[in-house]
Amino acid sequence: MKGIAHFISGVTVASFCPWAVEAAQNGNPAYFILGAVAGILPDTIDFKFYRFFYKHDIRIESHPDQLDPQRVADAVSKAVSLAMEGKRTTLKLASIKLGADDWRQYRVKIDPEAGEVRVQFGPIVSTGQVPQPNSLPEPRPVAIAKFDAPILQNYEPTYTIDIFDGPSFAFKRNEAGQVEIDFLPWHRNWSHSLTVGAFLAGIASIWTWQASVVVFGAYVIHVIEDQMGHMGSNLFFPITKKRSKGLKMMHSGDALPNFSAVWLCCLLIFWNVYAGIGNPLYHFTFVRFMMYAMVIPFAIFGAVRWLVMLPDRGHPESLSTEWNV
Amino acid sequence: MIFTATLAVLAGTVLACFLAILPGLHIYNVMGLAVLLIYWLQGLGIAAAPEIYLPFMIGLVVGWSVLNTIPSVLLGAPDESAIFTVLPGQKYLMTGRGYEGTMMIGAGSLVGLYMLIFIVAPFAPKFLPIARNVLTPHMHWILWVIITFILMTEWPKGGNWGPAGWRKFFDAWSTLGAGLLTFGLSGLLGFLLLYRAPIAVEDAFQNIMPAFVGLFAIPWCLLNVLSGAVVPKQYIRDTLNINGDLLLRSGIAGGIGGGFAAFFPVVTGGVGGLLAGHATAQRDERVFLMSQGVSKVVYYTGALMLFFVPGLFLTRGGGAWILKGLYTPRTLGDYYLALGSIAIAGGLSFLLMSPLTKWTLKLMKKVDYRIISLFALGIIIVLVYSITGWVGLFVMTVSTGIGLIPVLFGSRRLNCLGVLLLPIACNMSGIGEPIASFLGLL
Repeated sequence: MKGIAHFISGVTVASFCPWAVEAAQNGNPAYFILGAVAGILPDTIDFKFYRFFYKHDIRIESHPDQLDPQRVADAVSKAVSLAMEGKRTTLKLASIKLGADDWRQYRVKIDPEAGEVRVQFGPIVSTGQVPQPNSLPEPRPVAIAKFDAPILQNYEPTYTIDIFDGPSFAFKRNEAGQVEIDFLPWHRNWSHSLTVGAFLAGIASIWTWQASVVVFGAYVIHVIEDQMGHMGSNLFFPITKKRSKGLKMMHSGDALPNFSAVWLCCLLIFWNVYAGIGNPLYHFTFVRFMMYAMVIPFAIFGAVRWLVMLPDRGHPESLSTEWNV
Repeated sequence: MIFTATLAVLAGTVLACFLAILPGLHIYNVMGLAVLLIYWLQGLGIAAAPEIYLPFMIGLVVGWSVLNTIPSVLLGAPDESAIFTVLPGQKYLMTGRGYEGTMMIGAGSLVGLYMLIFIVAPFAPKFLPIARNVLTPHMHWILWVIITFILMTEWPKGGNWGPAGWRKFFDAWSTLGAGLLTFGLSGLLGFLLLYRAPIAVEDAFQNIMPAFVGLFAIPWCLLNVLSGAVVPKQYIRDTLNINGDLLLRSGIAGGIGGGFAAFFPVVTGGVGGLLAGHATAQRDERVFLMSQGVSKVVYYTGALMLFFVPGLFLTRGGGAWILKGLYTPRTLGDYYLALGSIAIAGGLSFLLMSPLTKWTLKLMKKVDYRIISLFALGIIIVLVYSITGWVGLFVMTVSTGIGLIPVLFGSRRLNCLGVLLLPIACNMSGIGEPIASFLGLL
């Protein structure tokens, strides 16, 4: 999920702790801040610290003016071959920055059935990943590099590289003799484990045991939320060495699940602080509250969206680039 | 009475049209001056009726909140609530689509006005007093959580290339560090302005103006002047490439962000814009731009509207605080007067958006962009000097120094909001005075 969803989930966890609400009523915001920080901390560790120190055996940084898809395809194929020979190999495919807000998009497809890697350069996109018209390079060949190894894909077969930091991969031969592809090996690994959450909770317990409960709860809710996606997390590091498979219920960037999670969290926080009022001026039940604040508005939103999309035959406009390798 | 009120709101909106195009001038400064004028008239025995000055003031706020998109996008001189529109807006401008970008934000503003009038207004008297009653003891930690969010969610822009190691780490953290530094320095400035207010008390309503102008508007003007950007030929399109779904999505994103900023104290339109961008994971630039238009209008106009909601007794935003000194709304009649005024002012200002944008583009065609930016800079400096004097200019200069950090390092400009967020959050949690004392300000 997106950062804001994790962040507010951490705050929500704190709001479920009566001592946090009581402290807040007395002017102490510490538990809520702690919940917010712990809620987003796993991603902060990965994206703001760990990834800069993660070493890659092969790095491919294409020059903006010398687009050579064959070099990229060969590098991926080489990484697969090295892994097949028994050497765990990490590969980084860097993004190609053209300007302050312009990036050259390219796609890499690893096709296990054909035993080949296909790479092709695509349009220039903005940081919002929106393609610019008439920006496809000419000529635009598809580079192919063959490999001879059975592949086990844990993520998706086609990788799109465009904005900010390009993706990393770890290729490793498993016990079944297949080459496993680990997408973003530095992400959702040790930082996204319940054990690290427990460790940080232990540190927080130096202050109070209540703080440790907030930290552990907020950290764990992040891991659980991520588990609903495709990539999964390394749940019990260092006991487990690799990520458990995600439930594949959503993609982390999907708008509706993110928005729904944020809104639900806001409502739960509201309810929890309402429940913390000794003698409330207004009285309402949880069911009635959720009906008014979530069920009815979402039903209306759904109906209105259906109506406004009727002219487009019910399909939302998509900005994803219509090309494939 | 209706005819008089309509004339007043139209007058306020038309005046706002011209004021909105002047970069750096905030409508609250004008409202402050208008209030001083009303007091002066009262001193002469001429009493202005609320049915005249309330719609007039509402016209000012609504007109300005819709039309200040023009200097933000075309002149790159935003107020704080519009900072997120500058970069995508300038991208539209630099690809010859400045008109389209401006009108898209304008369409968002119209959506925001529809939301306020047709969705928020009917339910506000029933539900908002409950929300206020429940959340009032919790405002302080909500503010702290927002500060935490601003500081923790900045994305490192560097560190994407090269071998792993400290060099890569420091490359990435140069932007993040600049962001943290900006927030810290702004917060320090905020403490200084709050506890050792250098601007005279007589300059009521204007004391924060030089700091905001220096933090948000001047760095952009300077950048425009120094960068020497050449604005390409601009194209006017008859239609905008948007549909109902995009409008709906931007309405939800911007409505929530702007609504949040309007309801909670100290949270400003810029924060509303940030939340609008994050909450719905919007990638589409058009949705982003429109959501910023929604957020801006919902923040300014919504905060003023809340002042009139019967039974709510909530004063949010500079406009409402200025009006509070003049009038206390009591009846449903006041609420309906405010809603009617918002509707008329909103409709008129949206209709004026297209001709005013075209006029500004024509001006830009004739006059070099750098000269316009220089002229804008001159207006800002003259305004600050005329309202707050040399001390205001000094505060503005210091603020500009802080405001330039994010511009130069590519970090988030919203960090400048530390000027308000940090001292107020500290005060709300009861630690403001000890910190001010530690800083030697007491």
